[in-house]
Amino acid sequence: MAWLVVRLAISLSLLYTASAVFEDQVGKFDWREQFIGKVRFALFDTHSQASKKLLVATDKNVFASLNSRTGDLFWRHVDKTGPEGHIDALLMYGQDAVVVVGNGRLLRSWETTVGGLKWEAVLDTGSFQAAALIGVQDFVKYVAVLKKSAISLHDLSSGSQIWVENLPDSDTVQYQTIYSGGNGLVFVLGFVPSSHIVIVEYKIEDGEIMKKKSVEAAWMSSLENSCAVISSGNLLCVDQTTQSLYTLPLQSAEHTEMRQIHLQTLDLEVASGFQPVLTSTQPNPAQPPLAEFFLQLSPDHHILLQLKDDLIAPLRDFNPSYLAAFATSGEKTVAAVMTSKNDTACSINLFSADTGRRHLDTTIIYHMDPNGGKPNRLYVHAFLKKDDSVGYRVMVQTEDLTLTFLQQPGRVVWMREEALADVVTMEMVDLPLTGTQAELEGEFGKKADGLLPMVLKRLSSQFILLQAWMAHLWKLFYDARKPRSSVKNEVTIDTLSRDEFNLQKMMVMVTASGKLFGIDSKSGTVLWKQYLEDIKPDSIFKLIVQRTTAHFPHPPQCTLLIKDKDTGLGSLYVFNPIFGKKSHISVPALPRPVLQTLLLPVIDQDYAKVLLLIDDQYKVTAFPSTKNVLQQLQDTASSVFFYLVDSSQGKLSGFRLRMDLSTELIWEVVIPTEVQKIVAVKGKRANEHVHSQGRVMGDRSVLYKYLNPNLLAVITESTDIHQERSFVGIFLIDGVTGRIVHEAVQRKARGPVHFVHSENWLVYVYWNSKFRRNEFSVLELFEGAELYNSTVFSSLDRPHPPQVLQQSYIFPAPISTLEATLTEKGITSRHLLVGLPSGSILSLPKMFLDPRRPELISEQSREENLIPYAPEMPIRTEWFINYNQTVSRVRGIYTAPSGLESTCLVVVYGLDIYQTRVFPSKQFDVLKDDYDYVLISSVLFGLFFATMISKRLAEVKLLNRAWR
Amino acid sequence: METRVRSRACACVALLLFALRASLGHEHIKVQEEEETPEDVKWRSPEEEQGKFRTPEGEVRVQVSGRALVPGVRTQDWISNARVLLDGDAYVGFIREDGGFSVSDVPSGSYVLEISSPTYRFQPVRVDITATGKMRARVVDYIRTSAVTRLPYPLQMRCAGPHHYFIPRETWIWSDFLMNPMVLMMVLPLLIVVLLPKVMNSSDPEMKREMEQSMNMLNSNQDLPDVSEIVTRFFSPPKSHGRAGGGARATVGGAASVRGGAPRRRSKMNTAVTYSE
Repeated sequence: MAWLVVRLAISLSLLYTASAVFEDQVGKFDWREQFIGKVRFALFDTHSQASKKLLVATDKNVFASLNSRTGDLFWRHVDKTGPEGHIDALLMYGQDAVVVVGNGRLLRSWETTVGGLKWEAVLDTGSFQAAALIGVQDFVKYVAVLKKSAISLHDLSSGSQIWVENLPDSDTVQYQTIYSGGNGLVFVLGFVPSSHIVIVEYKIEDGEIMKKKSVEAAWMSSLENSCAVISSGNLLCVDQTTQSLYTLPLQSAEHTEMRQIHLQTLDLEVASGFQPVLTSTQPNPAQPPLAEFFLQLSPDHHILLQLKDDLIAPLRDFNPSYLAAFATSGEKTVAAVMTSKNDTACSINLFSADTGRRHLDTTIIYHMDPNGGKPNRLYVHAFLKKDDSVGYRVMVQTEDLTLTFLQQPGRVVWMREEALADVVTMEMVDLPLTGTQAELEGEFGKKADGLLPMVLKRLSSQFILLQAWMAHLWKLFYDARKPRSSVKNEVTIDTLSRDEFNLQKMMVMVTASGKLFGIDSKSGTVLWKQYLEDIKPDSIFKLIVQRTTAHFPHPPQCTLLIKDKDTGLGSLYVFNPIFGKKSHISVPALPRPVLQTLLLPVIDQDYAKVLLLIDDQYKVTAFPSTKNVLQQLQDTASSVFFYLVDSSQGKLSGFRLRMDLSTELIWEVVIPTEVQKIVAVKGKRANEHVHSQGRVMGDRSVLYKYLNPNLLAVITESTDIHQERSFVGIFLIDGVTGRIVHEAVQRKARGPVHFVHSENWLVYVYWNSKFRRNEFSVLELFEGAELYNSTVFSSLDRPHPPQVLQQSYIFPAPISTLEATLTEKGITSRHLLVGLPSGSILSLPKMFLDPRRPELISEQSREENLIPYAPEMPIRTEWFINYNQTVSRVRGIYTAPSGLESTCLVVVYGLDIYQTRVFPSKQFDVLKDDYDYVLISSVLFGLFFATMISKRLAEVKLLNRAWR
Repeated sequence: METRVRSRACACVALLLFALRASLGHEHIKVQEEEETPEDVKWRSPEEEQGKFRTPEGEVRVQVSGRALVPGVRTQDWISNARVLLDGDAYVGFIREDGGFSVSDVPSGSYVLEISSPTYRFQPVRVDITATGKMRARVVDYIRTSAVTRLPYPLQMRCAGPHHYFIPRETWIWSDFLMNPMVLMMVLPLLIVVLLPKVMNSSDPEMKREMEQSMNMLNSNQDLPDVSEIVTRFFSPPKSHGRAGGGARATVGGAASVRGGAPRRRSKMNTAVTYSE
């Protein structure tokens, strides 16, 4: 009875404390990095001199404010993904920022200091063209939004709509730009391709059309980049085919034709095949733009021009120049131009906009990352110094989405790696041993060569250890004398070494932009980065660890398979995951689309696992393909099986490898595509360990698990999406024989299905469309009370079908992603990690997802520690492993075992990256952080002294008694 | 300190709200099939007609709006990292500086609206929108999904307290140690052993003598055989009986056997003690 109480107490304590976070553990072993994505709009707050705000809107539908001194986020608003949350325009005036969202559907005004929403206005539907702030008499009061067929004007302080007007002839004319010079009029510019330009003039007060004129422009193909309004209402356009500039005063009635200025008269020429770009600047929306503008003639040639008295005069020619941008501070407008200095560095200089003269001592040197991409955007923050000269800082965005903020003379103030906002896949690699550790390891690796050399070697290695220990002591002593702040454990690539519990690992992350990162899992420091150029967008990546760090002196080796989404053609990139260096191993050419990859446990003489790549003709390419490997493959070919999925035809097929590396079809399962389509196929993780083969029941018998390593879980969804007829199908198929081990159908259910397949169980989540809720379902497979063959599992010899138990539960929240914890030996109980859309990561004990949970409690179920069945799954905020450090848009959770059996390393990635450790069964193999050394030692000392004292007292008493 | 006060206030308000809801709720809790609701005239048609429109395919899109409140906290302090989520992040809205929010372009259907904030907890609300664009709000019940407990629309979201992410550390406190049943079990006999003789000492000398006598008797019984031994002797075969007597515990066992009838004598003695008391 007593032990039952104890067990109950243990299970209860497990229930209520498992994987909770203690408040003093915050930030101890976890970290979060927040990202924003590729910057599309960036505006510096020039409202006041001391302002540090930098407003950015990105392609990830994120609107954020950054601290321009540190690069940290002040606040960030993450909108819906997809076109509905797409940010079309960002305008800023004073403390307010106006954002147009969702193809002109919403207009939002944000207060930029704390990031509160001031107002929100819903606009009529219609494709968005342009938005502009409109000023009247030096005050900006309105914001105008141009749609394909309408223009609307809104009050800037309240968001209320002042007027909305349909645009004349909007079915033929493409309206693209708005312009207002602060004189009470709004100009809408549109054009009919290869015909004419249309200029419509609206009165600000009531939206009345004042004037409408059309001007001949047969050469016109687009207004957006090749036209600009400069200097009190002059429309300026550039055309590549006629090599000319065209000007037209917008307001004057007599001009009915655009004035043509040949570029030749200015000694200029547009590079062939390049669409020239005009850039003008309007520092104050209530004032006309400046007369100066940039004309980009080729990718690396800009020229600053000025329009004066109807004449265009070049102010300064920048050849070569990569990027150019205007910036205004107070009354002064400057232009920053980036030119190439040498192969590895660029220099940025400041020029005064009205004269083109160079400001002295304004050079910023920008050192390009040799492993990065080229700079492609330049944002300038100009400010007035105390002596009234103009100072500036720049933010450079590169092709690989690195944001670098620089100040004079080239100091990098901060840097953000925004490619990490879109991590596609990742792996964790053990860190290498230190030199001394490696030396010791090497001793055991080598062949024995006599007794004496062995003894000497042992002595020398012991001496090395002693030396290392002395050095460590000396360092401790040396550090202790220094003030604490200066002692910083900077992680660099050279000091990397494995810790004693292997808790610190290298996170290799692959991002959608084609940039690879190596991140230290303990601190989140980016240790190396490598930008792979010419990777097409939407490529499919697969990262494979071929050789771990365990095979010293062979370096670890990772292989990245990059597959083009449309053609399926792949290429391999082989690198060292610790240092990020590309390996010089010859990589097989892949002329045909790759369908499947297979990492075999077969290793070559350099301890690299063999990777098999199967192409669309079912031919197999081995990598590495040395003679040794081919020999081994021939020996093991008969036991190498793989499967292919063709979801368009609903076909799953199993193949076997032949001796000559061709393949033969063994089985085929067709799931008719008219009824259902295959959405996902998953096997088990290869590095997963199962500790116990069975479960001990209440009556002391054992229920053996059905542990089939070749089992595939196939999830299908019905093509019929009606809520009464839709269903989700689950097939468990043996990957070797093609035998369908189990089949289940969840009626009135639809996807998206998230699932975890591990050990002898499959957990999946679906949407119950009848009751409109998410439901968890768990399938567990058991062999029964006896094992058929307890020594080895063979798919070919397993005559009895497994017993399948299933139970479903209600999950009272939506789900973004699902993963299970993983530990070294599989002794620790498992938890499911559930990513919620709110950004929290819930650690749900697998104990709750046990199909043997009884409805009625019996003595036996109590003995087995089964929780009574309850339909609703609990969600407790104490189970959120990331407490208030929410991770936006969770896309994946990666779990890796550490050297401690109790500890599982977790990386959550999405828009943000969060790394932590979880202890599903608490920390049973190390002393807890709150272990009370003081108490235990005081008790020990207390007992010691108590015995001393009582001994003395007893002696005295004995003596007294003897005297009596 | 301030946050603690704030949270308590928050919790109090939440409790009050619950009490209110419980008291009012009885009148209009009615269980009905969801499908039959379109003719329910009490459904609120959205007065904000500006937010409602029909797509070219004729499907209705409405704006779901409401107001969120964290009592005792200025809105600016919490809205910058809060979002309004409908069915996960299928539809997203933001909270205005006055606490109001609206989620635009929501097609007809049934949604769970929640306010996600890393600091404050809000009860989710189910929002039903008919094909004509009428909507209502009700309490989320995942088990009885057709149960309708109406909530006001436009939505009134009130904070139900802050999130509790952390569990307190088990700290070592003296009172915990002392109130431990094991310790209590040890303390009581200790008290008896220490205090009882002192209480007895103060009584009359006759009593004292009697006590001493009984104590001596008790002491003399030190060499009583323990119960386990008696039991083993009882159950063991007669052959080993003698051996047990002259075995390892020869002295103790021998003494007991010499006196004999130990159990009976012991019981007698017990009675003696009780009488004396």
